Amino acid sequence: MNVPLAIASVALVAVVAAVLLAQAAATFGRSRLVGALSGAILGLAGPLTVMLPLGFCTFEQAATTIDRWFGLSLIAGAGYVAFALGRTALDPAAQARRRRRGDDVAHGAFGGNPIIPWLLLAPTLIVLVVFLYWPALRTMRLSTQLARLGAPRRGERCVTNFTELIGPDIPWLVMSATAMAALLWTSIWFARRHLADSPIGPARQRVESITRWASTAATGAVLLAIAGIWTADYRAVFVVTMIISFGTVAGGISIALGIAYLAYQPIRGAGLYRTLLVWPYAISPPIAGLLFFVMFDANSGIIEHTLDSVFGLALPDYRTNAQLAQFVVVLASIWKTLGYNLLFYIAGLQTVPKDQMEAAMLDGAGSLQRFRYVVMPALSPITFFLIVTNLTYAFFETYGTIEYLTAGGPAGQTSVAMYEIIQTAIPGRDLGRGAAQSLVLFGGVVALTIWQFRSTGRRVSYGH
Amino acid sequence: MIPQRARRSVAAAACAALLISACGSDSATESGGDAPEETSADAATTETTPTDENSDDTAASSGEQIDVWIAFTDERLDWTEQVAADFNAQSDGPDVVVQGFEDYESLFDATLLAFDQGEPPAVVQYFEAATTEARDAVGGNGNPLFTSIETAIDGRDEINGVEVIIDDVVTAAANYYTIDGTLTSMPWNTSSSTMFINRSLLEAAGIDGTPETWDDLQSMCEAYMASDAATDSCITWPNHSWFLEQSVAQQGALLVNNDNGRSDRASEVMLDSDAMVDYVTFWKEMQAGGLYTYTGTQRDWGGTYDLFAAQEVPFLVYSSSDTTLLTDEGVAGGFDVEAAFMPRNANATAGGGNIIGGATLWLVDGLATEDQDTALAFMNFLNSPENAADWHRVTGYIPITNASIELLEADGWFDENPNSAIANEQLAAAEESSATAGALVGNFVAIRDVLTEGVEDILVNDLDPAERLGDAQVEAQKLLDEYNELFG
Repeated sequence: MNVPLAIASVALVAVVAAVLLAQAAATFGRSRLVGALSGAILGLAGPLTVMLPLGFCTFEQAATTIDRWFGLSLIAGAGYVAFALGRTALDPAAQARRRRRGDDVAHGAFGGNPIIPWLLLAPTLIVLVVFLYWPALRTMRLSTQLARLGAPRRGERCVTNFTELIGPDIPWLVMSATAMAALLWTSIWFARRHLADSPIGPARQRVESITRWASTAATGAVLLAIAGIWTADYRAVFVVTMIISFGTVAGGISIALGIAYLAYQPIRGAGLYRTLLVWPYAISPPIAGLLFFVMFDANSGIIEHTLDSVFGLALPDYRTNAQLAQFVVVLASIWKTLGYNLLFYIAGLQTVPKDQMEAAMLDGAGSLQRFRYVVMPALSPITFFLIVTNLTYAFFETYGTIEYLTAGGPAGQTSVAMYEIIQTAIPGRDLGRGAAQSLVLFGGVVALTIWQFRSTGRRVSYGH
Repeated sequence: MIPQRARRSVAAAACAALLISACGSDSATESGGDAPEETSADAATTETTPTDENSDDTAASSGEQIDVWIAFTDERLDWTEQVAADFNAQSDGPDVVVQGFEDYESLFDATLLAFDQGEPPAVVQYFEAATTEARDAVGGNGNPLFTSIETAIDGRDEINGVEVIIDDVVTAAANYYTIDGTLTSMPWNTSSSTMFINRSLLEAAGIDGTPETWDDLQSMCEAYMASDAATDSCITWPNHSWFLEQSVAQQGALLVNNDNGRSDRASEVMLDSDAMVDYVTFWKEMQAGGLYTYTGTQRDWGGTYDLFAAQEVPFLVYSSSDTTLLTDEGVAGGFDVEAAFMPRNANATAGGGNIIGGATLWLVDGLATEDQDTALAFMNFLNSPENAADWHRVTGYIPITNASIELLEADGWFDENPNSAIANEQLAAAEESSATAGALVGNFVAIRDVLTEGVEDILVNDLDPAERLGDAQVEAQKLLDEYNELFG
């Protein structure tokens, strides 16, 4: 075992955390010593929480270079999380914000009583611990093992289950995309700082819109960098997941918004019509897959039969064409989520302020302009909510649809991350790899959610 | 495989119903796809819902009853329960209670759980590709889960008044399940891969004869596609590893080292052997020539079946377990269905032959003597000449003992149903060797999936078979190494 490197890396994290927190404490008007001490403790605790259960195995002689780097980034990541927590704890402004939002137990009905709130929360907490946190911990444990479903024997794999997903196959892509993202973000940061003191006007608006585009481009660059990290096999899964998820979310939300806007027009029987539109929501994902299979199957599907008997045309086989297969999966998923999205958009449209619509009309805004500048901003909280729920659906619940439509094919071109996890862990009986892949998916979804709250969430207007 | 098949069946039935109503024809909806079928097993899914009969009382060693868990939930479960009732009526030991599970995987997981809790079933059905895993299976305490039936029978000719039939089991099945010189589990539902021919379509195209080799098939298919009676394509079969294994065995080649894992634990897979590459190359050529239709998903029993049933292709390579169903499709649809041997490679020099697929009944280790004897008696009762013959007639699985074949012959069954004789004939024609005994290898199900993924890649993305199978070989070898690291 490479003990010096292990000690050095953990110590380095602790020292950096101590220095940074001391600095932060000073800016918050607290004692530097307190900052430095808590920084050192947190900087030790973070990496140790990760590395002690692993037994510092990434520093073993047998570990590969990638294993070692993976271990170092785990240490750095854990150190960062610990530092961020410490910083928030020291920040008086953050505490004030918490209090303002009302998620602080120091006030309210229980007035600082430390026991009763916990007692009241206990049923929920027990359920969470037993059915969520404990399995999550087990998953983490399994992800470091060579484990088979139904076999009590286990082997230790350290972080191999993770690192064997990492190539890095296309180093130049990782490098250039990371550099690109860093460059973009730095310039955005400077632009925003500069903007803060520039006067409101068309020039500022232009710069703001440019920074928004730049921020989107930076996100794209990060995705490219991540795509370059994987091995060729897992990159296929990553790319397919991105295509199908974003297709489902973007397509689903825009189509739902369009249909909702049309269905909201005051016409006879609109109530009944709107109710019927919700139907696909009541159908389970596998049934959606089955329905689309029965329609689109190129060998014995309904559409094929009609085309063939009426026009003498052959339907291209979506099961042997990657793009078509992805398209059909996206289509089925959009159809499946449509009812849900419509429900929220139709409800949302009823809350669009009538006076704003009238004012816009009086100002001469056309129907499209009213939609773009009044309706869409008014619906932004709902859109934000739907993006979150739809992404969750696309990531976690398309399994059933895919299983019946394409079974992940052709040649893995519709095998999204969730499908891959189930295939690995259940029929393949490889629990360790399945657990590792599910943690990768978990990490991805967490990162995506944080990004979403930071970027989209900031632009959501709740009307007050 | 079964639940996937069942789902496909729903889709197929729905499709069939729609097609037929669209055509205005009123025949054949019943037999559409809702079949007592399949065989060779794959383990694709895991819905853990045992059909809920008798689930309250599952004490195996109580002396009052023993549990038999099988992975059927359709009429095959009803049939087995009926046989169990007959058995209980003539036996004065504990009663046999049969319980059905959705699939082999959930059945196996439930068995492990029950074993760890000290209340295991007495007999468990498990599929052929998982034979190594069943032999290696241990409970939480490290004790083996199953014990060899031949050892447990211990040379007796009859147990509790039931005649022991293990010496009479047909050679192909006996060879597959005899490991280290002992019959480890009781063969039950067994099939082979055979070819089905739509004779009416071929006659309309003016083609006669039955293709025996790949070349025969290819030229016959070319002639068919060139004729006026041509349909979309000529042949299909599921991209299931079982057919690749069949072809390798036909060419007398091995799938894994150490005599297909029979002289010692297999430590090397041979997915890129010449036999395998030749077969996949032939497969790809058939597809490239527009003769073979790939339905686009792996292990697609339903889609390939439907193509044949809808007369879209005159040839289908399939499991013999569906012989009765496919023949009935022809009767209902007005075309003649003929079963034939699976076409072979005429250039293969080493003698070989087809292998079996299906499942066996495993005896749980550590039962009380009375319970174990009852379990053994029941297994033999299940395969008594009358029951084995009836099982064959009802399902299409091969008659598993020579006595049951004689019984069927005496009844004139094969004269009336010539297609039903083909699987047994094909298996009997195989040269006895470790190639035709079938491969024993750990992590077989995952290895099978690696193989079918590779074939799909080759067919869909037009890759070089030898190169892509080389990749599959590396991946599969890793899976086997890991398995052997845990169990070797």
